[in-house]
Amino acid sequence: MTSLPDWLTYNRDSATLAAMLDSSLSTSLESLATESRDLTLRRFGRTMTLYAPLYLSNFCSSGCAYCGFASDRKTPRRRLEPDELRRELSAMKQLGITDILLLTGERTHNADFDYLLRSVDIAAHEMQRISVESFPMSIKEYRALADSGCTAITIYQETYNRERYENLHRWGPKKDFIERLETPARALEGGMKTVGLGVLLGLSDPREDALNLYRHVRYLGRTYWRAGISVSFPRLRPQTGGYEPPFPVDDHSLARMIFAFRIALPDVELVLSTRESAAYRDGMAGLGITRMSIESRTTVGGYHDLDNNEKGQFDVFDDRSAQEFCNAMRAKNIEPVFKNWEPAYNGPADGNSTILHPVKLQPCL
Amino acid sequence: MDFLQLGSYTFSSHLILGTGKFSSATVMLEAVRASGAQLVTVALRRFNRDQPADDLFSPLRAVPGITLMPNTSGASTAAEAVRAANIARELSGSPFIKVEIHPNPQHLMPDPIETFEACRILAKEGFLVMPYIAADPVLAKRLEEVGCASVMPLGSAIGSGQGLATVEMLNIIIRESNIPVIVDAGLRSPSEAALAMEMGCGAVLVNSAVAVSDNPPAMAEAFAEAVSAGRKAFKAGLMSKSSLAIATSPLTAFLGAKV
Repeated sequence: MTSLPDWLTYNRDSATLAAMLDSSLSTSLESLATESRDLTLRRFGRTMTLYAPLYLSNFCSSGCAYCGFASDRKTPRRRLEPDELRRELSAMKQLGITDILLLTGERTHNADFDYLLRSVDIAAHEMQRISVESFPMSIKEYRALADSGCTAITIYQETYNRERYENLHRWGPKKDFIERLETPARALEGGMKTVGLGVLLGLSDPREDALNLYRHVRYLGRTYWRAGISVSFPRLRPQTGGYEPPFPVDDHSLARMIFAFRIALPDVELVLSTRESAAYRDGMAGLGITRMSIESRTTVGGYHDLDNNEKGQFDVFDDRSAQEFCNAMRAKNIEPVFKNWEPAYNGPADGNSTILHPVKLQPCL
Repeated sequence: MDFLQLGSYTFSSHLILGTGKFSSATVMLEAVRASGAQLVTVALRRFNRDQPADDLFSPLRAVPGITLMPNTSGASTAAEAVRAANIARELSGSPFIKVEIHPNPQHLMPDPIETFEACRILAKEGFLVMPYIAADPVLAKRLEEVGCASVMPLGSAIGSGQGLATVEMLNIIIRESNIPVIVDAGLRSPSEAALAMEMGCGAVLVNSAVAVSDNPPAMAEAFAEAVSAGRKAFKAGLMSKSSLAIATSPLTAFLGAKV
């Protein structure tokens, strides 16, 4: 069994975060919120960057106990063909969306790397910014995606507790904990400009997971100094299969986690999706979160096929329209920003640098 | 009249405004008007031709009396910045380009190597190049040599509100420079802007301090007044700060003593 990397057990700079996460200590939630709000305002201003997910395919080869698209679920399987994808993109553009996250399940022959690459290529001609949340890939594959116009990879570890991870991921390629753990680094070596990290809250002890997530962020930041990193806070939502989270995270604990991450990582993009309620998202806007999804459909083809009654990967909680969401942001004196990227900046992060630095930096622990 | 000279352009205002981070385009425009700024910068990534409500460029272009200076924020290499500058010139018609190259999108620290290379190329291509740089006196001279219209050293980290943390380096840059030195980033209060102008800066650029204020138009006006006061003080000539104490037994009494 491969041993855990050093950075995962090293707590050089996670002590402050640990103190902030400990609700029994004197740091009140209100004082964390104040500090978090001030940092967010200074660094990001009164703005919220918006994106929307686009499910390319729900074929999957893995058996994640908590996922509505796990390979043993009875959900009908399909993938978007190029014409359907173009219709989907066109429907999203009608909503004003310019920044999208393309999603697939784990690697299968129905939705493999070539399929993903073709889809990125099509999307990059229509949208301003493309991110991908898909299966782990090789450095070479990531570089090909970056060359095609993908700027960011989202890859959640789900939980950093290896034992729980191996039990939850019952079969398939995702079962390999270490392989998953090393994926964000490979994406950055492949020239991705940003990686999105996160844990699926509810699967394991949230405090332990938050500290390990933070260590992962710091390790990547020190090793890949050009890397942009974003952190998401997805809480488990009801989904096909009826998985009950063994470590439910309440509203207060999630808020504490978000504030603590903002204070510990003042420059990092913090993301909150439509898994959360409208009231919770509105409340968090301006207090630490800087990026939110809108109009999310978690089914394949959900934007152009509005009569689709299939179950998605999970149930969306905040189902407001883009217009309703924007009105709520404006009422809070926050500008919703649809376009915050320029395709002129696409391409591998290290690809056209004036002087190349082939040496990989080694972290000094 | 005391003008800010950038290439063949002259501006009577010495305040440049950034346009990101505002709660709405309406508030941003009110702040621009209240500031009296004649030069404003807008990120190419915030140009949105498809969606007027999300576009920062068109509403700014409609304001009379201001010149737009697109910026390359989001670029991480010289090649990307050069590409962005050409797109921005095409879209805006402005010869100004504020070169911002952040290898890491989070820290927003300018990359001196990529910035130098981009500026060298863009100046040759006829742009009025305004590079955002760390407060490095040598880099500032190198950029002047390749034909930049100004240099824009940071007072402190963007959005940090730490004021003129780099004051010693800024003083050297100002003393040695033949092109306007514009403090960009880090200013929190009008008094810091006044201080920068008293030191001899050609202009200051402010964004967060105005955008994040509870009343951006009022804060923009306060910065305009401070910049104006600081500039007048610089032109009038500040009284010497030196308060040299004279030793009771002169240290130089030996000079000219009879041998």
